[in-house]
Amino acid sequence: MHYVIVGGSASGINAIEAIRSLDKEGKISLISDEEFSLYSRCLITYFLAGKLTEDKLKYRSSDFYEKQKVEALHGIKAKKVLPEKRKLLLDNGRELAYDRLLIATGASPKMVEVPGSDKEGILGLRTYQDAQLINERLDKVNTVSILGGGLIGLRAAYSLHARNKQVKVIVKSNQVLSQMLDSGAANFIRRKIEQKGIQVMTGLAAVEFLGGKEVSGLVLDDGRKLECELVIVGKGVRPNLELVKGTEIKTDYGIIVDDYLQTNFPNIYAAGDVAQGKDLISGQSTINALWPCAVAQGRVAGLNMAGKKLKYDGSMAMNSVEFFGLPVISMGITRPKDKEYEQLVREDEKNFVYKKVVLRKNRVQGMILVNKIEQAGVMGILMRKKVDVSSIKEMLLEDKFDFAKILPIIKEGKELFTEREFEESTISY
Amino acid sequence: MEKIFCDIRKCLGCKSCEIACGVEHSTSKNIFKSIREEKKPRQRVIVRSTTKEPFPLRCHHCEEAPCIEACMSGAMYKDEKGVTRHDPDKCVGCWMCIMVCPFGAISRQESLALKCDLCPDREDSFACVEACPTKALFAGTWDEFKKRLGQEKR
Repeated sequence: MHYVIVGGSASGINAIEAIRSLDKEGKISLISDEEFSLYSRCLITYFLAGKLTEDKLKYRSSDFYEKQKVEALHGIKAKKVLPEKRKLLLDNGRELAYDRLLIATGASPKMVEVPGSDKEGILGLRTYQDAQLINERLDKVNTVSILGGGLIGLRAAYSLHARNKQVKVIVKSNQVLSQMLDSGAANFIRRKIEQKGIQVMTGLAAVEFLGGKEVSGLVLDDGRKLECELVIVGKGVRPNLELVKGTEIKTDYGIIVDDYLQTNFPNIYAAGDVAQGKDLISGQSTINALWPCAVAQGRVAGLNMAGKKLKYDGSMAMNSVEFFGLPVISMGITRPKDKEYEQLVREDEKNFVYKKVVLRKNRVQGMILVNKIEQAGVMGILMRKKVDVSSIKEMLLEDKFDFAKILPIIKEGKELFTEREFEESTISY
Repeated sequence: MEKIFCDIRKCLGCKSCEIACGVEHSTSKNIFKSIREEKKPRQRVIVRSTTKEPFPLRCHHCEEAPCIEACMSGAMYKDEKGVTRHDPDKCVGCWMCIMVCPFGAISRQESLALKCDLCPDREDSFACVEACPTKALFAGTWDEFKKRLGQEKR
């Protein structure tokens, strides 16, 4: 059996471990277009901030491939899949045959297409190499414009602020973190980062970049000009689909996978930021391009590739991030659009505490916690198990809410809470 | 795998487990000296309560631990015995672990995650279990715990 994995990040690494847990002998090949390997992309902004050294970026130790008996090909790009021939075309001219293929090519930052966007110094931030490119320029940079107020945009702002740069964040929508938070919670984050000296400008977009060969400024859609020697684009990501273009592998926004992370070709799987599958809460086909989802999908895909028949429950939008000591966690639907949803909110402006639960038919569909985050996972399990929470509804936003309060729900819902750890905690209750 | 279980019916809510845990994880391992330490001792088990009775909340060292799956820095890991361990050297305080722990058993100590580590400095005992005056806390395997509950019913 020859397993071939394209992409060496969260999904790829976890797929390797999963395959090896079942198949000690099969051949595993990994292809990655990056030279720097086995690192966690999520740590890139910590690295850029100077808070982490290069060795601390590593998600697995450097002997990982050796220990897992993996043939790792780095700095090589897989160009195309030939599903009928069961082969991969590599950019070094080689063809690689596979029995089972995992496509975990991830995603790339969406760049802005406006006049001047080809100038030097306009960069995305996703890979180790991106961080190095930014690092190399930093000496000649005083002011940085960040385009996009999402997670990457704000994390980039945070890291360059830590490197003593003037940072302006330009956000198209009227709030920061609009994918993750409602405006109430977003205002707390905005207040915090503005207090620390990062300027946030909402409702604006860049329409032109100025400068010669290198960027020296930009023009906003209200006509204002900003000077900056570096632009970081954090306007979301796009799945890397080059590999499957022109093939019979079904795609929509990403590569379509079923509940087993299989594509429409039974021996081809996809996982991580490139895979489009079921959302656990909405039931719709989507991509939740998040590290924990990529890990889980890589694991399930790997186990299935090695012969198991394990179902993946679906992914859930969830994120956790901290800015200047202010932590925030959100999950599921945080900005419901119709009246079927009930929203409970508690706010304590002085202490930067914001809590929100979104319910539908007494089921938790989403939540936001700012500053007091410890019980996020307890709410998360209520969401995942889709249980009726009417008996504890008034308690959900209180500080005393915790796992102990959901014991009765677990006891009653034994058929849902099947993990042994739940039985362990309720057996004497 | 040997870990810590609790017979909720026996828990008084005295918090002896919390104190013993804090002391165990201090530098001096002495209750009086520990409170003077620069880094204040912190417990990793917290006695909360159901709507009626006390309940010591702690890490369950899940077989398929969500915190390990979610940890983006590789700080959370399983050791050879199956204990879910946390490497403070790798932790960046992103709180992904807190986001997915169904027990809410992970807390924050400044920028590091804090959770039960099953007393790695001890040979074959756990500080909280030893300190529990009613033997509500129990050290052993799941089968042993079930057996004990069964025996006591009779």
